[in-house]
Amino acid sequence: MIRTATRYRMLAIFVLPALAIYVIFSVLPLLSSVILSFFNSSNGGSAFIAFGNYVHLFTDPYISGHFWNALRNSVEFFAIHLIVELPVGLLMAALLTSATLRRSRGIYRTLLFIPATLSVVIVGFIWRLIINPLWGVVSFPLLGNTATALPTISLMSVWEYIGIPMIFLYTALLAIPNDIVEASRIDGASPWQLFWRIKFPLIAPQFGLITILTYIWTFNGFDIVYALNGSAPGPNYSTDILGTLFYRTFFGSSGQVADLDLGATIASVIFFIILVTTAAYFVVLQRRIKTYEL
Amino acid sequence: MRSKLAPFAIVVVAAATIGLSGCSAGTGGTGDAKVTTITFGNWRTEDAKLWESSVIPAFEKAHPEIKVTYQATSTNDYNAAIQSKVESGTGPDVIMCRPFDVNRAWIEKGYFDNLKSLTSISNFTPTALAAWTGADGDPYCMPIASVLAGFYYNKTIFKELGLSVPTTMAEFTSDLKKIKANGKYTPLALGSADGWQLAYNVLDSIGPNYWQGEAGRLGLIDGTKKLTDPDFVAATQAFADLKPYLPDGYQSLKYEDMMQLFTLGKAAIIPDGSWDVTAASATGLDIGVFAAPVVKAGDQRYLQEMPDQGVGLNAKSKNKTASKVFLEWLGTTDFQKIYVDKVPGFFSMGTAAVPYTNKLSQQFADLKKGAKLTPRLALDRLSAGTPPLDDDTWAVLQTVLNDGVSAEAAQQKLQTGLDSWYKPAK
Repeated sequence: MIRTATRYRMLAIFVLPALAIYVIFSVLPLLSSVILSFFNSSNGGSAFIAFGNYVHLFTDPYISGHFWNALRNSVEFFAIHLIVELPVGLLMAALLTSATLRRSRGIYRTLLFIPATLSVVIVGFIWRLIINPLWGVVSFPLLGNTATALPTISLMSVWEYIGIPMIFLYTALLAIPNDIVEASRIDGASPWQLFWRIKFPLIAPQFGLITILTYIWTFNGFDIVYALNGSAPGPNYSTDILGTLFYRTFFGSSGQVADLDLGATIASVIFFIILVTTAAYFVVLQRRIKTYEL
Repeated sequence: MRSKLAPFAIVVVAAATIGLSGCSAGTGGTGDAKVTTITFGNWRTEDAKLWESSVIPAFEKAHPEIKVTYQATSTNDYNAAIQSKVESGTGPDVIMCRPFDVNRAWIEKGYFDNLKSLTSISNFTPTALAAWTGADGDPYCMPIASVLAGFYYNKTIFKELGLSVPTTMAEFTSDLKKIKANGKYTPLALGSADGWQLAYNVLDSIGPNYWQGEAGRLGLIDGTKKLTDPDFVAATQAFADLKPYLPDGYQSLKYEDMMQLFTLGKAAIIPDGSWDVTAASATGLDIGVFAAPVVKAGDQRYLQEMPDQGVGLNAKSKNKTASKVFLEWLGTTDFQKIYVDKVPGFFSMGTAAVPYTNKLSQQFADLKKGAKLTPRLALDRLSAGTPPLDDDTWAVLQTVLNDGVSAEAAQQKLQTGLDSWYKPAK
């Protein structure tokens, strides 16, 4: 018999190493970044200016213009993933579990997942060549038009990462016990009914989770835009998302002097947006999704 | 057996090496006690071989009492590395200087010694030194190399279509028209996906002929001129007028695409920088270079010369005498001859002419004759705030080509952005 106090002490000892690593490498940098956003260090010293940087970010016409533009683009970037990546990923997962595939299932699963293992730089480079007006398959400058540039980049990203929701939902579908499926077949459910009435409700929690993960990934997105268009993503900032705006502000670009405080401010705002939305999602939606004991 | 002996062998060899190197260092130290070693901090990691095998040996031959250590940091980390090293007193003795704003900040922080007492400084014009002068107007870095902007053209295509090399904007436009009418080649290999390319290689190349080079550039800095003045609008208009001669889908063509188009012999002219002399002639095409054409025949010609590297003396250096000898030497044609020969596309900034072995480099250098030189428009002081004029120019020039924004509106937008933070020193 171990006394409760001892048990708690042991618990603390076991948790401590992981907690220490988490605090040192995640919590502290995050906090120091947030703290940095309350200072002004442009004139050599470092002066505490409370919310001065935030006021500047939202009131300066130039910077706030870039911020709202980047936020709008990030929302669009996410929306395209939400509308294309998740439904198609779900469809692929459903097809992969279909009985008619049998032998070729492994091949399809591998093929569809391969793009997710490629480097973003390679994906960007290949697609840029495919849609290059000089040597590619379309003569329309998809990446050079302010209306089509962001959707084009989003779809490249969807193409690359579609394997992830697919494999995620596929494993969830596999976990559904066969007897439930058989029982509903005997009860006369059509394949359509079988999927939407039986299978989908059972994987709804996973679907919700992959949705919110996609949201976090796309709002933290940076690499594909940077790989294709650099840190001042054109044409005329039409592909500038929050990640590239932060990068440009914090590290500077060719002509732009780096502004650490303002960069930290933007990082904090991005963090706050993602935190609030994710928290709201878990409180409002994820809890209401019914989970079934199988 | 072997595995048991190996550790001993390693220990023996290592001990011997350490012992020997210790001995040789000892004898070296007692032999020539006067040898001073200085370190040369810079961002040109790609030139390490050239400096270590050609430039530094040439210097050490002339000055056996000094040894130079080449200490390169990659270009992205360079500014941060130099700042932390110099401030903690461990910086290299001589430091490569970034042009304009970054270096001006470094001068203000007291990183460099004033170089006006060096005799080699007189080998350079004030324009050449301008990128590295302090608030007092004195030089703080010895200019090493610059890059030029111009237009490469395919001589075979020019011959085939019976074109002559343009010297005025009217001739330039007429050439472009003829190439377009012929229909076989793209007149101008230029895409708008890379904004910097539009600014550095096109507007800042043809523009100085409209805004009279330094007169216009310094006018913007001291506030006597505005970007909305007719000269600047006319320059942007001339830029916008190139639109009909660009390849299809130019909106999404990047710099590499344009260079490919040109080197495959499918485009007649490409506006580009001198750093590309090797790339432009890589496929063996017969290529020439012409300078940005003047507005009207008989006008003074202006050429973009962008300072790239200078070298300054660390104010906290412990080997200032030796460092000054090195800096003096970097300002001579002895150095420049070796340097420009090994790095085609980079040019000596001195007043004395230096021969170039690369044919295209020599052609580029010849463009300097009779031209007044001026650096890129927006990099000196005008981009040290938000919005930086340079970045703004890139995006605005894209809208001029892609969305048909007028030259007046474009210049107005740039001036408004500049007015929001830039206060000219009166």
